Amino acid sequence: MDLNKVIKECLEGKEGAWEMLVNTYSKRIFNMAYQFGGSYQEAEDLTQDIFLKLYHSLPKYDFEKNFTAWLLTLAKNHLIDTYRKTKWEKANRDDFNEHFLALEAAENPEAGLIRKANRKMVWESLNHLSSEIRMAIILRDIQDKSYEEIAEILSLPIGTVKSRVNRGRLELAKILQEKKEGSDEL
Amino acid sequence: MNCERIEELLFSYLEDELSPAEKNFVETHLAACQECALLYSASKETREALSGFPEVEVGESLMSKLYAIPEKKKKFSFSLDFLLKPSLQPIFAALTVFLTIMSFYLFNPDKKYIDRSINQKIHLGYSQVEKLYAKAESWTDRLDDYKDNVLGSLKNWKIFGGDKDEAKS
Repeated sequence: MDLNKVIKECLEGKEGAWEMLVNTYSKRIFNMAYQFGGSYQEAEDLTQDIFLKLYHSLPKYDFEKNFTAWLLTLAKNHLIDTYRKTKWEKANRDDFNEHFLALEAAENPEAGLIRKANRKMVWESLNHLSSEIRMAIILRDIQDKSYEEIAEILSLPIGTVKSRVNRGRLELAKILQEKKEGSDEL
Repeated sequence: MNCERIEELLFSYLEDELSPAEKNFVETHLAACQECALLYSASKETREALSGFPEVEVGESLMSKLYAIPEKKKKFSFSLDFLLKPSLQPIFAALTVFLTIMSFYLFNPDKKYIDRSINQKIHLGYSQVEKLYAKAESWTDRLDDYKDNVLGSLKNWKIFGGDKDEAKS
């Protein structure tokens, strides 16, 4: 798919072009919002806001740039700004089992109980990270993006991205360790 | 000191990004330090957990809302298109200035004092106008007197058939 062509058609108001953009990016943006905030309902609202922003900002898009990175930067800025303004994610994240375990059962039937428990603990611990570090962790470890891509999306030097990712992983590992020790003591 | 260094290197070690010397340093330390060995194990599990989150599907209702964004925008822009005419800009500017001044007046906590001072100014203006009218009236009276005097003296002149003796007496 020629993205620049789709964007041009979108700007001309050609039928089907906007739908194509939505089909290509909605899942990625929705998952990013869900992983960042942890609330399914909130992620739906945020995804809608981000696409609305995209629609308004599309005429300003520079065709020389990488569209995916540009859109993810827009999404990242919106998520972090919303976090700063409303602190909505301070509330507990959705129960991990609610949206993930059904999918996991279908994909990894052999996954052990310990692995599931670890995922649940890590999912619940994500909110303990600062918004910037959490975003770096989501992009690197959950969405499996390269450091170069993350540096472009976050508009940061690669060294800073690596240090944020390392700090985030370490914080999560320590939280996981504490939780495990806590549950062992019980 | 060594434990802090291990924290820095742990994830690079997990991703197999270390030089042989650094790798050797990490492995030696992990074999000797139980605390770091536990952290290593937790780090490994954290990495596994993070990479294992499945992607969640987007609901149909959200998809329809996303598809409908351009339609909403079109409706909005069609209904408000006439407002975007450049010829209306001076009117909007004047309206903005007027509304700003009005809002300063209406939402001012000292509105009572403003009202009172406006009333005082109006009364002052009114009394000044009254004074001007009074002055103007006195001027017209004086002009009338002056006119009568001038006409009276002209009538007494001989050339206009006035009685000189009568004037003398």
